[in-house]
Amino acid sequence: MSQGHDNPIHHPEVQMSSSRGYFTGFLISLGLMFLATFLVASGSMPPFGLLMVITICAAITVIAQIYFLLHLDISEHNIWNTVSLVLFIPLFIITIGLTWWMFSQLYLRTMPMMPGMGMH
Amino acid sequence: MLVPLAGGWNPLLGRLALDQIPYNNPILAPLFVVVALGALALIALITYYHKWGYLWKEWLTTVDHKKLGVMYIIIGLVMLFRGFVDGLMIRTQQVWANGPDSSGVFGAVHGYLTPFHFGQVYSAHGLIMILLAATPLLVGFMNIIVPIQVGARDMAYPYLNALGLWITAAGAALIMASLFIGDFSHNGWFGYAPLFEIQYSPGVGVDYWIWTLELLALGTSLGGINIIATIVKMRAPGMSWFKLPIFTWASLSANIIALTSFPALQLALALVASDRYLGSHFFTAGLGGNLMLYTNLFWIWGHPEVYFVILPAFGMMSEIFPVFSEKPLFGYITMVAASFAIAGVSWLVWLHHFFTMGAGPEVNSFFSIATMLVGIPTGVKVFNWAFTMYRGRLTFSAAMLWAIGALFLLLVGGLTGMMLAIPAINYMVHNSVFVVAHFHSMLLVIVYAVFGSVIFWFPKVFGFKLDEYWAKVMFWLFSAGTVGVFVPMYMLGFMGETRRLDYVFNTAWHPYLVAEEIGIFLYCLSVVAFFVLLYVSIRDRVKNQVGQDAWGTSRSLEWLTHSPVPFYNFAVIPHINERDEVAWRRQHGLVQKQPEKYLDIHMPNNTGMALYIGALTFVLAFALTWRIWWLCLGSLVAIIALMIVRSFQGDAGYIIPAAEVERMEKEALAREARIQTGAHPLPAGGRPVPGEAIAYERQDKL
Repeated sequence: MSQGHDNPIHHPEVQMSSSRGYFTGFLISLGLMFLATFLVASGSMPPFGLLMVITICAAITVIAQIYFLLHLDISEHNIWNTVSLVLFIPLFIITIGLTWWMFSQLYLRTMPMMPGMGMH
Repeated sequence: MLVPLAGGWNPLLGRLALDQIPYNNPILAPLFVVVALGALALIALITYYHKWGYLWKEWLTTVDHKKLGVMYIIIGLVMLFRGFVDGLMIRTQQVWANGPDSSGVFGAVHGYLTPFHFGQVYSAHGLIMILLAATPLLVGFMNIIVPIQVGARDMAYPYLNALGLWITAAGAALIMASLFIGDFSHNGWFGYAPLFEIQYSPGVGVDYWIWTLELLALGTSLGGINIIATIVKMRAPGMSWFKLPIFTWASLSANIIALTSFPALQLALALVASDRYLGSHFFTAGLGGNLMLYTNLFWIWGHPEVYFVILPAFGMMSEIFPVFSEKPLFGYITMVAASFAIAGVSWLVWLHHFFTMGAGPEVNSFFSIATMLVGIPTGVKVFNWAFTMYRGRLTFSAAMLWAIGALFLLLVGGLTGMMLAIPAINYMVHNSVFVVAHFHSMLLVIVYAVFGSVIFWFPKVFGFKLDEYWAKVMFWLFSAGTVGVFVPMYMLGFMGETRRLDYVFNTAWHPYLVAEEIGIFLYCLSVVAFFVLLYVSIRDRVKNQVGQDAWGTSRSLEWLTHSPVPFYNFAVIPHINERDEVAWRRQHGLVQKQPEKYLDIHMPNNTGMALYIGALTFVLAFALTWRIWWLCLGSLVAIIALMIVRSFQGDAGYIIPAAEVERMEKEALAREARIQTGAHPLPAGGRPVPGEAIAYERQDKL
């Protein structure tokens, strides 16, 4: 512990948070989740289109949460957050990409072709 | 209830009922009596010696990273013992229940454990050894050593550190509770989909397993955040990245992969919980679920996790070898690079845990090659350690013996790992005890490194050395046990024995099983030797007292402060000039140099809040396991309320006045002067320092 702590409230990354920001992030996430749930439950779209739409919903939710709830941007005082995000992105690509690859290969061998899913 | 439950449920007690207590089990009921008597004796002793106040003030409410680390290590050692007893039970069952003519007792047809009970024993063994023995032991060492090695007064977040400990303790308590209330999961430590679904495992065992893992994942993640922040933000003046001690580098790489991978486990288990509690179908075979997706998600965490536990062990070995070779570590930069290469590759190899899923030749080839790549940085490390010892002045002390043992086991485990990385071999030995022997070789690297570190860093924390003779006796007994258990196991693996057999059909394997039983008996003797070691060392503690540099050849910064380390770590934070600061100071006669004047020290206050929240997480997990909904809600609300209360309290900390620091330092120095006479004559003077060396920052600048 170094001498003399600054008041944590005055740190720039703490200053970025506001109840409006949290509320906006929460509402956007909630709205998109309800939309996705409704679309899946109603079954009014063909499977492939549905998959696309809920994937886009999920992507927007992730971005909204990163911005409004985690306050990530590329400003100077957020440099460590930016570094960790940049280090995280390859992990997302690796885990999601390799999972997608291995399961597409597995499905080719083990699953009956689902109607409406098109060709692989 | 959203899902149909076998057995009763009532709003007050959930699924908990009297028939869930195994009071008629011939193994558990006597054990419970012993445990209860032991606990009563402990409480009576603490009360008799009026130690409750001491326990509360000095240990239960502490935020001191060294005491928290010691408690982590105590949890780890206790759970290592429990896991060992599970291992002993498994070995005994297999040697007993061998062949159709073998006898059976306690309701088992063969041996003494019913298949259901045997399943619980091996599941608990795996989970305990990885997450409740290896992880707390290593986290404990990182907790104690990393802040001292970087020259900090405490962790970056002392309160969060205490919280992590008490949540881990809650996880340990939960798995111990499953012994006497209900039962534990019977489908392996990693769980098989869809066997863990509520239809196939209707009891509470799997629920215990889910919530134990969730608690441990949470506790470990909090610890990881803390260690990373400490290393990044709290290094002593002058300590640039490449002057960081090697164990700290290893801790950094390990905690980065822990922090990034644990969410995958938490997610996978949350989905299992959703299946079991809400009736969803993530991992069922029907209704759009995919059971292999569970295995996939689990090992996305599982493989980084095994490197999370091996990397700090590598760091420990990298600290022990140079000290007992009297040479700097060979290839420091390549060692750091290798740690991060291993951490990076750990994310690319998880499919090798389920090659036989049948993802196809392209996928299997990719993961096979990625797995073999791990051998490159690991090989770099092995050669670096070998070159560190090459032409060094070796001292075969007990700590060094453990480290060399770890090196040999790493070779055995690593080479068999290379074999398993080849899918063609993997298909042949998948699910055999060959795999079991392989990963036990690797995990024993950790156990060896940990025991080496216990001996190596014990004098730093407690101020006296452990007895060398009994430490060596323990080492040789333990190593004999390792050979006795695992050499026959490798052989049985090639003969086709599959893992987790509660009944071994082939009587031709009997000699090997007997050899394994003899091996585990030697392990038992080594446990006895460990207790003797503790007894003898504590008895002779005055004789074995040491000064700051316990081994006389130490190198990194933790050996610059007193032994035992004062609660403020360093009276004045030293200035770092070199990579091996203490070795450098010794060479230049600066070890005994004291700061000219002392300043006030700012320290964090003790708090009971972490203990309360830890206890409440246990209540929450227990209530979730037994589906006592009112208790879940109550404990959850209480946790949130306590967190809000804590955030409004804040902690201004307290100041130790400079005069008080000076008094304590004088005392410590006087104690050291008494011990130093005769033990390790320190060279006076030494070579003059080229240029201008700074031992401490200039006081007027602070």
